[in-house]
Amino acid sequence: MNNLRWGLLKQQVLVQLRVRTLNLLSLGLFVIQPAVFSAVGMLLSHAAGNATPDLVYSVIGGGIMGMWSGIVFTSTYDITSDRRYGTLELIVGSPTSLATVEAIRTLTNVISGLFSISLAFVAALTIFGYSLNGVNIWGAGISLVLLLFSMWCIGIFLANFLAWSRLSGSFVDYLEMPIAFLCGFMYPIRVLPGWLQILSGALPIRWALQAMNESLLGNHDWSFLVTHWVITVGISLVFIAITRWLQDKVHDSIRVSGELSSI
Amino acid sequence: MKSLLRPFRLYLTQAWLSYNGRLAITSPLGYLASKMGFPFFLMLFFIFMGKFVGFTNPLYIVIGNVLLIPASSSMFGVTNAIGDERGWGTLSYILGSPAPRMPVFMGRAFFYILDGFVTAIIGFAIAAGIFHLDLSRINIAMLVLCIFLVAITSSGLGFLFGSISLVSRDGWIFLNTFLSALYIMVGVNFPVEALPPVFQKVAFGLPLTRGILAARMALQGAGWSSIRQLVLGEVLVGTIYILAGFLCFLLIEKRSMVSGSLDAM
Repeated sequence: MNNLRWGLLKQQVLVQLRVRTLNLLSLGLFVIQPAVFSAVGMLLSHAAGNATPDLVYSVIGGGIMGMWSGIVFTSTYDITSDRRYGTLELIVGSPTSLATVEAIRTLTNVISGLFSISLAFVAALTIFGYSLNGVNIWGAGISLVLLLFSMWCIGIFLANFLAWSRLSGSFVDYLEMPIAFLCGFMYPIRVLPGWLQILSGALPIRWALQAMNESLLGNHDWSFLVTHWVITVGISLVFIAITRWLQDKVHDSIRVSGELSSI
Repeated sequence: MKSLLRPFRLYLTQAWLSYNGRLAITSPLGYLASKMGFPFFLMLFFIFMGKFVGFTNPLYIVIGNVLLIPASSSMFGVTNAIGDERGWGTLSYILGSPAPRMPVFMGRAFFYILDGFVTAIIGFAIAAGIFHLDLSRINIAMLVLCIFLVAITSSGLGFLFGSISLVSRDGWIFLNTFLSALYIMVGVNFPVEALPPVFQKVAFGLPLTRGILAARMALQGAGWSSIRQLVLGEVLVGTIYILAGFLCFLLIEKRSMVSGSLDAM
């Protein structure tokens, strides 16, 4: 049984890497898009008269942006292309649940997104002279793991909508910027007006990201970090619970109507 | 008379078929989300980025991003309208038809230009309400001219990328990447003068840069005499790109006739 699960994981990851990750679109999402957003941040900073840009938000934040864009588009395209190529019915009809397949695919997408943030870190260290002195490495590391976890939760949550209805795809695509804007990918959350900060509190990515950025800026206040981590995990679990509930509804709807390809 | 009207009729028919064919299945909400949703949140994102780094003029970002709406509508619309012919397998029929190429090809842009133009006007009205954009000194006629011009000239980029999408399945990815570069290059979020000198030269070789500058001046009340040079420059650059896109299309068509492999690539 364990071998079977390992085989499924390995196979799905390999397929996902070949089909979704190692292509020109991913290059654009993981490398070029973050570079563009970082450049906008740095040039805005230059236009504002600052001698040096803020490396945590402008450069590393660009990497977060790339990671998020990659997850949104690859996770949504997975279901959309399954629908287009007629493989969605085969997956739903197979003994492995769609939820498991989606979970593995999204995990691969999230791990692939690490390339984007790694590149941003390397750029910050080597090109812009970002120093690790004073950085709370453990805090940043744990926050990064939780950031990946929260992105994975949101990824499977969004992918679920596309299994339900093809029309939802057009809305899911447009969530890229609102979530980036609400979670403060390239600026601290305090920049947002109070009511938007409250709204962004419903997203686990915001809490994990805030903890990571604070750690990178040298915050060693563990109670602040642990609080953020607990909130991240809590909200992520809520998203997973909603996803499970929605998945059951989708499966019921498919069984009752038998109309997966037309919904 | 009939033969004179034929290309015109063909142009409008193609324009409507192309636009309607791509958007007929879209729900009104989906259409609005694609038109206004993404640009609005992108603009907010840049505004807060600017606020964080101390860029004290958020309206500069607002105006720039509203002016980018007609450009992205033209670029995306035209690129997809041309590229989708291949995706849906209708390219062979177009290339095999005796219809003159100019109205067939150019017709792809007409409604996207109108669409982008109207969206930008609505965008300005919304921006005026939300961000308290000062419109007291505005030269409306010149602003309308500039928005319309930007929508037309940027369609040249759409024709170029549309032609690329005829020979590469990744044409829209190139376009996406290029569109991202416009956030930096054409004075949307910060003045072109903030760019390194080499990039400033590149910026003025692109459509939009002069059009956006002229529109910003029109918002400050500038008249024709003040923006004439920028407008004429924009017309020149846009015409070059539109012709380059059309020539690309003709070259690709010619190559497809020789190799017979356009749809198979």
